[in-house]
Amino acid sequence: MVATITNPLRVGLRQERVIAPQCLVIFGASGDLTHRKLVPALFELFKQRRLPSEFALLGCARRPWSDEVFRSKMTEALAAKIEEDPQAWEQFSAKLFYEPVDLQQPEDVVRLGGRLEQIDQQCATRGNRTFYLSVSPKFYGSGCRALADAGLLKDPKRSRVVIEKPFGRDYGSAQSLNQVVQSCGQENQIFRIDHYLGKETVQNILVLRFANTIFEPIWNRNYISSVQITAAETVGVEERAGYYETSGALRDMVQNHLTQMLAITAMEAPGRFDQEAIRTEKAKVLQAARLADELEPWNCCIRGQYGPGGSQESPLAGYRQEPGVDPNSTTETYVALKLFIDNWRWQGVPFYVRTGKRLAKRVSEVVLTFREAPVHLFDAANGGPTSNQLILRIQPDEGAEFRFEVKSPGSGMRSRPIDMEFSYDESFGEPSDEGYVRLLADAMLSDPTLFTRSDEVEAAWRLYTPLLELIEDSPWQLPIHPYESRTWGPAAADALLARDGLLWRRP
Amino acid sequence: MSPQLTLQTPLELAPSEVPTYLEQLWSPEQQGSTGTGANTFSLLIWQPAWAEQQLVRSGRLKGPITGQQSDSLVAAGRQVVVDADLPLSTPPLDGEVIAAAAAFDGQTQSEDLRGQYIDPALSALQPRRLITLAPTIDSGKGLETLVAAYCPLPEEGGGTAACGDVVVLRGGHNALQDGMNILQPLLPPSMPSWVWWNGFLDEAPALMEQLACAPRRLIIDTAVGSPRHCLDLLRHWVTTGQPVNDLNWLRLSSWRETLAMVFDPPHRRDALSHIVRLDIDVEGHHPAQGLLLAAWIADRLGWSLDHTEATEEGTAARFRRADGTEVIFQLMSVPMGQPSVHAGQLVGLRLICQPDDGKGVCVILCAESGGCMRLEGGGMASLDLHEEVVPAQHSTPEMDVARLLSGGHDSTNPLLAAAAPLAARLLA
Repeated sequence: MVATITNPLRVGLRQERVIAPQCLVIFGASGDLTHRKLVPALFELFKQRRLPSEFALLGCARRPWSDEVFRSKMTEALAAKIEEDPQAWEQFSAKLFYEPVDLQQPEDVVRLGGRLEQIDQQCATRGNRTFYLSVSPKFYGSGCRALADAGLLKDPKRSRVVIEKPFGRDYGSAQSLNQVVQSCGQENQIFRIDHYLGKETVQNILVLRFANTIFEPIWNRNYISSVQITAAETVGVEERAGYYETSGALRDMVQNHLTQMLAITAMEAPGRFDQEAIRTEKAKVLQAARLADELEPWNCCIRGQYGPGGSQESPLAGYRQEPGVDPNSTTETYVALKLFIDNWRWQGVPFYVRTGKRLAKRVSEVVLTFREAPVHLFDAANGGPTSNQLILRIQPDEGAEFRFEVKSPGSGMRSRPIDMEFSYDESFGEPSDEGYVRLLADAMLSDPTLFTRSDEVEAAWRLYTPLLELIEDSPWQLPIHPYESRTWGPAAADALLARDGLLWRRP
Repeated sequence: MSPQLTLQTPLELAPSEVPTYLEQLWSPEQQGSTGTGANTFSLLIWQPAWAEQQLVRSGRLKGPITGQQSDSLVAAGRQVVVDADLPLSTPPLDGEVIAAAAAFDGQTQSEDLRGQYIDPALSALQPRRLITLAPTIDSGKGLETLVAAYCPLPEEGGGTAACGDVVVLRGGHNALQDGMNILQPLLPPSMPSWVWWNGFLDEAPALMEQLACAPRRLIIDTAVGSPRHCLDLLRHWVTTGQPVNDLNWLRLSSWRETLAMVFDPPHRRDALSHIVRLDIDVEGHHPAQGLLLAAWIADRLGWSLDHTEATEEGTAARFRRADGTEVIFQLMSVPMGQPSVHAGQLVGLRLICQPDDGKGVCVILCAESGGCMRLEGGGMASLDLHEEVVPAQHSTPEMDVARLLSGGHDSTNPLLAAAAPLAARLLA
């Protein structure tokens, strides 16, 4: 972030779309996500005056808290943010309410209906409700059913359900879950969240591609030789061992976040900027995607697991030594994959996707490598000419970079690569909103563009089915390659690209 | 979407019977037959539609009278400008146009559907109660009170039928004044009430005072009425804590956004601390919008007002920056051949920044609908010039109001609250 004064003319101008009066109901309100992400995001929306005066947040969980206890818990959890603007918090916290609800108990849900009517009267929220299921994934289906049975999803224009990831564990379970939630309400009432789509830079891929004429003509197999999508984390499993042991990197990151980045990078141009048009194009490209070798998936997928690392002064535990992790765990913390998309635009272009924990650097990016110039007229400073690359940096240092050859200064005609950069910080100088700020606002605005539709989710799961089946049935064929913490993953992942004469970009 | 009419012909009742009738209509016993009363908001509209009434009466516009700002109404207003030999820069629904139309002969009678003719942008929000005060050009006309219930037609996919009602108080000014006592019981305290003053801000002050009281949320347009009165009223409401929304301020949003955009890149921000001159051009002789923009800039940049004076062309003022440097401000009225419906719309803005050491910066914003050659002239060559075109907004007042109602606030926008008192002071 560039150290700079805030743009004084920008203050208070983020009121583009108006959120209608409503009550946001969070199930799992006593959980981590509520105080870490959701309430801070709503408080941010409130400070930006993007929430209407007629707004209420009703927290629901099994704990027998009162409104006051819920408010004080949130006040405690958001202390640092509140310090910046205590007056705003005072106003915002008056809109927080709590109702003890166990979604598995029908009488609780009926009581919830009564409380919501009371809030409608008290806060003039017009019977307009967004239900946010921040609960264990095993309760997504039954939670939706309970809401529908209580008549709370009856009005498709005034009720929505937001469902956190993961949506299913595999293709079959995602299909079943879709059937359940679609029987409870219309598809446009269901908001399957993927917080990567809330990132400004992911959305910028759409703008970069479809608001400029210079990129789209070359955004295809004729000009692009390969695509790399990376989401690297430096942190380990932290306190999520319980969940992570049952999920692994493939389910936790690849099936959702990376696949969404893949879809946005590879989709065709929609006819208009319309929620269904965009989601249709994303679904189509995912339906055309396949593992590079579906019959022998081990040829196109590398799984890894971080081992110990760090320095003598600050050693880092390996995954199997982390609290809550099975010492013999075969859960992958790293995945590298090679995919193809069988359509006119991308036929034959490999898409390499990788993600991992405890890697050398925290970085998410999409790298499009262009084909080499057909004839090399000039000597290159580093041996051969470097292929042009367009690098879309998702995080951190959000922006884009275009790498191309220029004449190296001097008397000869040698070429060397340089980078032309666009940086969000340099251009806008304002931090982007957290993904949840955007996504919560969109859900409350009933705009599902940045949420995944049922066919997208199913297509994403279907894409990885051969791998999931292999891991389930014969895991030895997809062995876990250990890698040292804070390195770029197992050597086998480098070999995956080396077979194609390529290297992973070192961001 | 086409405008919606109430499904039934409104029932004419004696004013005293209206509250009881509506109470019964939404009583639990009646709910089965009429649907559920929408738990949304009430909207009270002062709807004089003077221009439309006069144009219809003189046969220059085909009825019925609806109170909507239609293309044919604007076209008829423009024709009056030509026929009455008014300056071509006169806005088509301006007071002068109304006065000229009033002087035309004619006694064409037409149906008056004000209050029953609901703009789709508003009806989509399902107001629980829509009360229209419809003053007639015949000031001696007695009070008529019309009531109708409406429910949206069942839509595909079901949903709850949320119904509302429409109340129209129609008559001469005195009759309406007499009818005011039935209003309070008609505004349910359990839901937000909005008052949209869709007329001149300097007409019917006693009525306005009765209508505009917190916690009711007021919607006004400071482009309609005398600039002095408009800005003073706005300042009054802001300082007394009356929640107020100004459509004239709302129409400035793309100007504020474009100007902020110019200074988004951090390397340009320093220039904001070195502004030495601000010029604003507005259409015609209504400076309210231009002054609001200048006041917003001054407030955001921490300038204090030193001096202001009226000039032949508009307003000239001097601000003082926090570092003590003087900033010259000039607002100039520019005649336009095809003026906007809204008096005093912005035409252009120029900021000149002169850092102590370094190249000066000039920022020029121009309206899409008009050029700003005047601002582009004179000694810009030595400055780093940034020029942007501000897109024209094509929304109707009803759409702007619907935007406010769809997710409104019970307090005045803090940026407007800060700018309004300064704008009033700027008007010499």
